[in-house]
Amino acid sequence: MVVAEIKPLKEIKEMVKKFRKILVLGCGDCVSVCLSGGKKQVELLSMALRMAKKLDADEANIGEQTILRQCEPKFIELIRDEASRYDVIVSMACGAGVQALVDVIGNIPVLPAMNTKFIGAANGAGDFLEMCSACGECLISQTGGICPVTRCPKGLLNGPCGGSRNGKCEAGPDIPCAWILIYDRMKELGRLEDLKNIIEVKDWSKNQRPGRYETAIKEETGTDPEKKRPDKAAAK
Amino acid sequence: MNINAMPPCQAACPIQTDVRGYIAAIAKGDVKEAIRIIRQVNPFPSVCGRICTRTCESACRRGQVDEPIAIASLKRFASDQTRELKEASKTGTYYTEKIAVVGGGPSGLTAAHDLALLGYSVTVFEAHDELGGMMIRGVPEYRLPKHVVKDDIDLILSIGVEAKTGMKLGMDFTIDDLLKEYRAVFLALGSERSLFPKCKGVEQPGVITAVEFLQQVSQGQRPYLGKHVVIIGGGHTALDAARTCIRLGSTDVTVVYRRTLNEMPAGKIEVEEAESEGVKFRYLTAPVEFLGKGKVEKVRCIEMRFVADGSRRRRLVSVEDSEFEIMADAVVLAIGYNPKTDDIKDIEIISGKRGTIVVKDESGATNIKGVFAGGDVVSGPMSVIDAIASGKRAAEAIHRSLRNLPQKELDEPSVLKPLDEKIVSLIDKAGRQKMPALPADDRIKNFEEVNLGYGKEQASIEAWRCLNCGSGAVVSDDCAACLNCVIVCPYGVPTPGEQKAQIDISQCQACGICAAECPASAIDVRLETKEEGRNKLDEAIAAAKKAAPDGFNIEFFCEYQQPEENSGEKADTFRVGKPCLGRIDIAQLLRPFEEGSRTVRINKCKRHDCRFKDCEQWIVKHVQAAKNILRELGMDTERLKLTEEPGNN
Repeated sequence: MVVAEIKPLKEIKEMVKKFRKILVLGCGDCVSVCLSGGKKQVELLSMALRMAKKLDADEANIGEQTILRQCEPKFIELIRDEASRYDVIVSMACGAGVQALVDVIGNIPVLPAMNTKFIGAANGAGDFLEMCSACGECLISQTGGICPVTRCPKGLLNGPCGGSRNGKCEAGPDIPCAWILIYDRMKELGRLEDLKNIIEVKDWSKNQRPGRYETAIKEETGTDPEKKRPDKAAAK
Repeated sequence: MNINAMPPCQAACPIQTDVRGYIAAIAKGDVKEAIRIIRQVNPFPSVCGRICTRTCESACRRGQVDEPIAIASLKRFASDQTRELKEASKTGTYYTEKIAVVGGGPSGLTAAHDLALLGYSVTVFEAHDELGGMMIRGVPEYRLPKHVVKDDIDLILSIGVEAKTGMKLGMDFTIDDLLKEYRAVFLALGSERSLFPKCKGVEQPGVITAVEFLQQVSQGQRPYLGKHVVIIGGGHTALDAARTCIRLGSTDVTVVYRRTLNEMPAGKIEVEEAESEGVKFRYLTAPVEFLGKGKVEKVRCIEMRFVADGSRRRRLVSVEDSEFEIMADAVVLAIGYNPKTDDIKDIEIISGKRGTIVVKDESGATNIKGVFAGGDVVSGPMSVIDAIASGKRAAEAIHRSLRNLPQKELDEPSVLKPLDEKIVSLIDKAGRQKMPALPADDRIKNFEEVNLGYGKEQASIEAWRCLNCGSGAVVSDDCAACLNCVIVCPYGVPTPGEQKAQIDISQCQACGICAAECPASAIDVRLETKEEGRNKLDEAIAAAKKAAPDGFNIEFFCEYQQPEENSGEKADTFRVGKPCLGRIDIAQLLRPFEEGSRTVRINKCKRHDCRFKDCEQWIVKHVQAAKNILRELGMDTERLKLTEEPGNN
């Protein structure tokens, strides 16, 4: 899932300086799971902003909402009316959610409360590690299910490098050397021989941004921006 | 897993008392709330708190950890402490029908009480001069003082129940007479005809029945039965008679019972109390003949033993050639008693064998329209709580029949299952509080109440042992399946479900840590719901703003702590209690600041054996996180103080 971290309060305060009616919007999916942007965190951020506004002798009306997933326009539709009562939406979703909001709710500015960090998984209690770079051409079948693109700071496809020391990476003492992990895993799987195969250079064109993925049930309306923003179409 | 499953104590109680509720109130020091909860279903709290047979305690899940909660003794504590707070609210009569209750014992008086509260005009007819039945005529005063019974009875009368004593059914009036004036009649005649063993010599002077003996003593007589007394029987009545004899001066008192201690209805605790007073016991012994010239002098007994009879049950048979004799100046028979219903001649009430009145169902309807029966006259001698339960059922049935409502469906409640072993092993052990009692030597000199009742501190410590079964966490659909609750729970109760986290209500210990840490605010703990917590805090803040508009402080404290005598409370500090502080989340800590509080104090207790494991570390974590936010806002972090209260050690 997507892992995001809340921005420093100072930065968020600065972003909302000139706004009086603020809606803090949380997301019930990834950011809830990594304990950053769920209903509980919405409550805390709203409280902190209220107190901050008060300290600056500013008036403020700060609302709180959380929807199931901010990256889904249909869920955003559910709070469109509510959102129209505010001057700005502070989104606690990942970057995808923030931008989906912008797409759907045209006339209100949307500000990101989070810094989206990576695609990752839980690594024990309350700890999240980056696992995947979304390179678009997954090769981890060749490396025992461990991704060297992501977990090796150099992204080596045929490691390890000379900087590997006692199983740790030279880039940081708590970064395990990905290639040692891969070696151990392949040994466990009885596939050490396979490591002798050279992994070819990646085709980074598969990772061309912005990425797009079309499924078989692609909606007709999805492609036409005018159909998504009826207010803009009407204004023309 | 039914989240509305009943705690085993409540399910085991014949009147389904909200045990969990009143014990939680006592743990927080709120006796008024405790007695209110008890009195919702039980008009005899002072009586039951002393002599109830306590099936609840046998079912209590704390018993899996160490010892069951002293549920009855805590009931006694609540009623003793609120004696002065007699809230005698005379209820109005909403219905025109009048109801007659025949029998002023626990069953009759309970039915009268419930019917009066429903709005009927009720008259109780009692053959003796005093109301109370076996509560005052059968149970000795050293177990149940008369003035205690009178307290409960006075409260019942004060709500508008009319009582006519000295009126005997069959002599002063008939059921027919009653049906002319009253729309319904409830027969709660009790059961007082003693059974006699089939032994020769039973008619000799000196062979008396326990029921009559105890009645005489209850009326103030003090008969001396002689040095050697033999009691036949194994129930409460037998032990009551034995201990009464000790107090009347007999020094060689022996209880003779045909089976063993394990089968004895009186129970091990009472037997121990009797033994400490000098009563002797002979098990697996049965009387054969009462011998004597002019009056009884000896009892010839025979030994008994169990034999397997081919099926899984055992049969009791006498041991050949094992007869022996016990000296006896008097013999007290306590092998049971039946109702006396042959006095009821005018109306045909179907009488079962043993003279009991036969009823159609649990509600007590007899074969005659408008006539109901309950208590010992239907069931034979049972416990006072069973009599109360039958009185309640009859009142409900009479009310529904008069109002043309369908009769109540009796459904089996679903009950919480036992605690898992792994949870039991994580709960710190703490034995039951010992009931203070008169020293054994002092007891036998008089009929003063032997058990003295818990003091405030004892009651609060004992009530705190209660696990509040079933008042734990419930997960809503907002759950994001982050499984944080699985990670933080000190008891390992939450598990990953198919779509969201699953928390088994029968195992959850209600510490509230998962709820405080849930990022989706999807967990609500019933011990203190989010709404209750919010309301408490809102109320305190509103009161603070009103009373101290120039500046106020908010203080959170643990409700299970004894308040300090001199807490140094200032007029501008407003307190919010929580059932253990581990459940406060960061937002609650900051809320008072949002509303203008000068400081927020968290009075953490000093105990390290809190039933809510790990509460200490979470309190510290939450305070740290709250301080971080204050720091980011440029506010003085010293305004948030974590202090320690002297705790119970």
